[in-house]
Amino acid sequence: MPEIKVTPLGAGQDVGRSCILVSIAGKNVMLDCGMHMGYNDDRRFPDFSYITQNGRLTDFLDCVIISHFHLDHCGALPYFSEMVGYDGPIYMTHPTKAICPILLEDYRKITVDKKGETNFFTSQMIKDCMKKVVAVHLHQTVQVDEELEIKAYYAGHVLGAAMFQIKVGCESVVYTGDYNMTPDRHLGAAWIDKCRPDLLISESTYATTIRDSKRCRERDFLKKVHETVERGGKVLIPVFALGRAQELCILLETFWERMNLKAPIYFSTGLTEKANHYYKLFITWTNQKIRKTFVQRNMFEFKHIKAFDRAFADNPGPMVVFATPGMLHAGQSLQIFRKWAGNEKNMVIMPGYCVQGTVGHKILSGQRKLEMEGRQILEVKMQVEYMSFSAHADAKGIMQLIRQAEPRNVLLVHGEAKKMEFLKQKIEQEFHVNCYMPANGETTTIFTNPSIPVDISLGLLKRETAIGLLPDVKKPKLMHGTLIMKDNSFRLVSPEQALKELGLAEHQLRFTCRVHIQDPRKEHETVLRVYNHLKGVLKDYSVQHLPDGSITVESILIQATAHSEDQGTKVLLVSWTYQDEELGSYLTSLLKKGLPPSTS
Amino acid sequence: MTRECSLLLPRVCAALADPRQPGSDDTCLEKLLDWFRSLTEFDPTVKLVQDNPCLTELIASVLALPEPSPSILSFTLRLAGILAASENCFQHFQQEKLLVRLFGRDGPLSSTVWEDASVRSGWVEGVHSMMHHQPALHFLCNGGGIDVIFALQGDPSLFVASAASQLLVHMLILSVESETTKPLGTKDCDWPACAQMIIKHIEDSLQSSSASHVEQSLKLLTSLFGSCRSMWTEVLWLGVAKQIESFLTEETVQAQHMLANLLLNMAWSPVFCDTEGSFWALVSSALEHLTPVQAGPLAVGVLRLYKCPQDVRIQALTVLLQPMDCILRAASQPLEYAGLLDESVSDPAAVESLLSSKSSCASLLCQTLAHLEELLSLVYLPVDLPYTSLLRSLMTILQFCNGFLSPASPLGSMISRILINCFRVQRSALDVLAALSERKGCDTLIGSLFDVLLAYLESPNTGPTVLKKTFQATSKWLVRLHELSCSNSQWEQTEKILEDVFLVLQKRLCSPCWEVRDSSLEFLTVLIKCLRDQDEFRQSLLSSEVPRLTENLLEDPESYVRASAVTAVGHLAFITYFAPEAPVVGNQYNKENTVAKLQEILSTDPEGFPRRAVISIFTKWLRQGCTGQLEDTEQFVSRVIQTVEHDLDWEVRLGGLELVEVFCSQTICQLGLPKCSYAPVSSAVTSSNHQNESLQIFCRAKLFSFLFRSLCDCDKPVGQRACDILLGLRGSFYPISTLKDSQGTEDSPAGHSIAWLQRTLRQGSLAQNLPAGGGNGVDFEDPESMMLALGTIDLEELHDELNKSSDHVEKSPQSLLQDILATAGTVEENEADCY
Repeated sequence: MPEIKVTPLGAGQDVGRSCILVSIAGKNVMLDCGMHMGYNDDRRFPDFSYITQNGRLTDFLDCVIISHFHLDHCGALPYFSEMVGYDGPIYMTHPTKAICPILLEDYRKITVDKKGETNFFTSQMIKDCMKKVVAVHLHQTVQVDEELEIKAYYAGHVLGAAMFQIKVGCESVVYTGDYNMTPDRHLGAAWIDKCRPDLLISESTYATTIRDSKRCRERDFLKKVHETVERGGKVLIPVFALGRAQELCILLETFWERMNLKAPIYFSTGLTEKANHYYKLFITWTNQKIRKTFVQRNMFEFKHIKAFDRAFADNPGPMVVFATPGMLHAGQSLQIFRKWAGNEKNMVIMPGYCVQGTVGHKILSGQRKLEMEGRQILEVKMQVEYMSFSAHADAKGIMQLIRQAEPRNVLLVHGEAKKMEFLKQKIEQEFHVNCYMPANGETTTIFTNPSIPVDISLGLLKRETAIGLLPDVKKPKLMHGTLIMKDNSFRLVSPEQALKELGLAEHQLRFTCRVHIQDPRKEHETVLRVYNHLKGVLKDYSVQHLPDGSITVESILIQATAHSEDQGTKVLLVSWTYQDEELGSYLTSLLKKGLPPSTS
Repeated sequence: MTRECSLLLPRVCAALADPRQPGSDDTCLEKLLDWFRSLTEFDPTVKLVQDNPCLTELIASVLALPEPSPSILSFTLRLAGILAASENCFQHFQQEKLLVRLFGRDGPLSSTVWEDASVRSGWVEGVHSMMHHQPALHFLCNGGGIDVIFALQGDPSLFVASAASQLLVHMLILSVESETTKPLGTKDCDWPACAQMIIKHIEDSLQSSSASHVEQSLKLLTSLFGSCRSMWTEVLWLGVAKQIESFLTEETVQAQHMLANLLLNMAWSPVFCDTEGSFWALVSSALEHLTPVQAGPLAVGVLRLYKCPQDVRIQALTVLLQPMDCILRAASQPLEYAGLLDESVSDPAAVESLLSSKSSCASLLCQTLAHLEELLSLVYLPVDLPYTSLLRSLMTILQFCNGFLSPASPLGSMISRILINCFRVQRSALDVLAALSERKGCDTLIGSLFDVLLAYLESPNTGPTVLKKTFQATSKWLVRLHELSCSNSQWEQTEKILEDVFLVLQKRLCSPCWEVRDSSLEFLTVLIKCLRDQDEFRQSLLSSEVPRLTENLLEDPESYVRASAVTAVGHLAFITYFAPEAPVVGNQYNKENTVAKLQEILSTDPEGFPRRAVISIFTKWLRQGCTGQLEDTEQFVSRVIQTVEHDLDWEVRLGGLELVEVFCSQTICQLGLPKCSYAPVSSAVTSSNHQNESLQIFCRAKLFSFLFRSLCDCDKPVGQRACDILLGLRGSFYPISTLKDSQGTEDSPAGHSIAWLQRTLRQGSLAQNLPAGGGNGVDFEDPESMMLALGTIDLEELHDELNKSSDHVEKSPQSLLQDILATAGTVEENEADCY
């Protein structure tokens, strides 16, 4: 039996970093190559030594596919390609290829700056790695080699995020990466066609959640920001350079416009321009509304949001500042936080998850006295809020995607074990498919139906097209023929050709059924009555009374004889070929009901 | 352990053991274990456990939980293992009856949580950490634990299976080395009990009909021979050698692919490599019997060995060269070229059949090429390689791949059809080609080699990754070509090739694909670096359109390309206006324009890469003395640092400091301070005059303001570098004995302000407190004040402070414990989230 093997090196029952190995029809593919932000040592990267015990990585792996630009999905890529030594092809969408190096570079700078680390990839390595990337378009079928093909589908989540279908022969796997089934202010909803993959590998971050109304959450956010600004406070929103930050920007911009607010909103210098540039460049990846209104007004050219300068932090009066990095672990956001933390009028809103060891994590867990460098204690008096704006499919969305794609098996990754367990049961119940949730390092093997290619003879194909059955991928049709298995190959040919090729004579197979009818009349009179009856009922069929006394309806033959023992009973012999099975059965049941009373 | 930590630890332990608390983040638990590992390294563990009874309580209460969470249980097992590594602590656990509930029959291995891979992994890791003394060994072997480990070698989790195998190796070594009293002989088999169990298991598995059991044992032996080089390993080997030899000849065994690694690890061990005969006969048999794909890694490994019989080396080389030989034979007419190998040496049938199959051809070639590259990168090669034939074979492969060669022979035409457009093989072949340029002896083919390379450079079918490798190979061979023409004076050929290369480079610089433009610029920079002293090269380059196109790329929309263009333009300057003899190329190269353009990029480019490239080129120019006379340089440096001072990219600011450092050492050198003893010093001027002059120059150029501000930069590396430079300057201006005491300098106004500077620097907030024109009377342009500042400010203290990583507080164990406690305290868990 052919099989598909899946081994997560990361994202198996966790949300740390994604890196999933898939082996399908002899091809080996790595899905995502993420980094764990919670570690400062080699543990931040997946342990690639498990990929192959023998031979070189480049020879073993046929390709690497990156679903989107978040670092937990692509952060280990330069390490993998430039330090571990993978030299094969890497695929991602065009926006991901453009934005990925910016985030990698930002992270590199922070890491090297903060820790003075030297054993980390360099700018040159990021560039060299990106040069190896092949960018793909949505719905474009890309041939990795003669047998392996991949295709990207829109995933929502962040700009450029994609789900990937990986196909070898007729076996296929779909990997969702992170996705969102509901459109938001700047991105559309994920979509995939009914591709019926053998396996759907889905993220399951919100496996047990039905997300509360998005509107509520947004209203809450705006209310908090508004209140703070009204009382003259400053709001700090630590974000990652590109990604969900743009969603929040649009939200605030529209609110400011509507409420006619005057307090300034700033975004870390340089990043707004960069973001604007990419959103303009990849406008087709955003949602419909943004695309439609783009000509009149570019939603990413903000009226109220301006570039931030270091000196602004000391300005009096209210303001809102988006600053990087998102976990308050270094750089500008941390610097501003230090300045503003002491004032209870101010507020910090953390819009994403923070790893242990960052100031973001500390304040989210409620710590209010932070030890800073040089034994200084920073007292946090400002308000601290957590407001998740990450865009993942919730339980309903995941079920919806499964309904859309109709996979034969489902495998859950990128989620917590307990929540996965719950969703797994739900999926198995509702869709009657197997659902798997391997831990990191565990291999799941899925057996697939063997694929048998069959050649069709030209004669048969021509005959079928002649009767209007043009082949069409979207409308599968039944085709009748004879399957010849010879010399390890399969061919579908017309029955005549099969007989000829194999030197066989044709035999007709007919079904015959006896129906007893009470009719004291002569046989030929009974036949006539049957003929009239059928002619009356089967108006659309050719019913004939033959000179030899038998009746035919299409290929069905009816003959009458008198019962040997009871002359008042006539026996009707009804016989038909297998092609007219339906009509034959119908006729028998019709005759079994008896003949209508004679009018004569 | 600090007092604060020991106060926090009991609460943390209680929180971890409390099933009602939300589970801790796995990274916290990992970091907690790291901390315990470091604690047990320096302090006696028993004291740690005695002083912190909460640790034992934590273990006991987690074990008592009816349904512990897998991650906490796994953590507990690993923690217990770390602690039980000390024999005393092990006994303490035994007395408390914890051991059997952790790693024995009553432990998790008999409960349902065992199904969770993280629990099994925690168990194996715990046992491994504990395994440092005989009582632990006996506990495992007598309590049946060892059978669990044997079984775990086949665990569905790769991590668990591999850890179990490592654990068995560790136990075997520990058992033999701690429990054997007399040297082991081959006959008596007097192994200690635990070792005996493991060895019997290995022997049984090797004879098993199950391929996975055989593989597990081979894996175990491979890591054993890789990590242990004691004599007893030979005794063990003799027991299994026959069985392993049979794997080579029996076709039914599936484990051949594991043998190469096993034999290589043995070959590195002095126990085996010195033996006469039998071991090397086995290696030789392996090279003969394994498939070409399996034998490849063994062959290249053998060729890397220092100690190895010459005949085995030659056999290994034959294995590696055979596919290359096949290619050559398939492509050429009979008797046209000598092949790489004498046909009598080996039978090429197996390789030929692999090369003529679509599924195996590319992978065999890629593997072979990677091995050849590895071999060529060795400084010392124990065998001679037939370089000319190898090069010819490589050229043939490259020509197959781009469709320039389709030979008549059936094999040749088959291979050429398979390889056409095969990027993988192209990349690997070009890598070997680049490596081959370092080796002498294949110069006769250089003309036709450039035909192949130019065809690749020109072809629109060459993908960006292949093109990059072609550039790399071309640059290396151009250097080689130049060396050749120096010796044989065939300048015409060189000139023609260079002309062709620049012609194609012109096209590539205009490619719509940024990767291609960037690789082209990188190629140009490499060429200038290597060949800038050569007249022919300079002439060909300057008479082409390449320099003009390069300058145009300074305005490329892609920042990577702009950065590479800056670097290329910077290097081009060395052969135009900075060249000792200005080239005869009209006046299209205007130094002022270029400098102005680069300065504009430095101050206005929105991306960091081009700005970083500019500052690094400026530093390079300064180093090479291209920036003119001292006054010009002073102004130049001053202008540059005023631009970079406010750059948002800390690496640009760091680059600015590097420039300052070079400028300082050059100035001091030129003015002849004692630090630079080789600089000519006029006897007429005294040393203090020079000091004065350099100091004045530095003050005029506003260096001190930049350096002192940088000390408080929010990005650590900038502060560190500035501090290093200031320390260097102090070393130049003050002999150690004359350093001033900071006490008592506050009498003068300058002294007063410097004292303020000292205090402010301690708080690390100079940048915020200092108005643009200076603050509190500190005059950074006053030589006297600066001399005083250098002499009195405690730069060493600052240096130590700056050298701590900026997250050293957050990374501390205390911070970790606080975080775990705080998270446990939050009632509602923040929704599992990512980005």
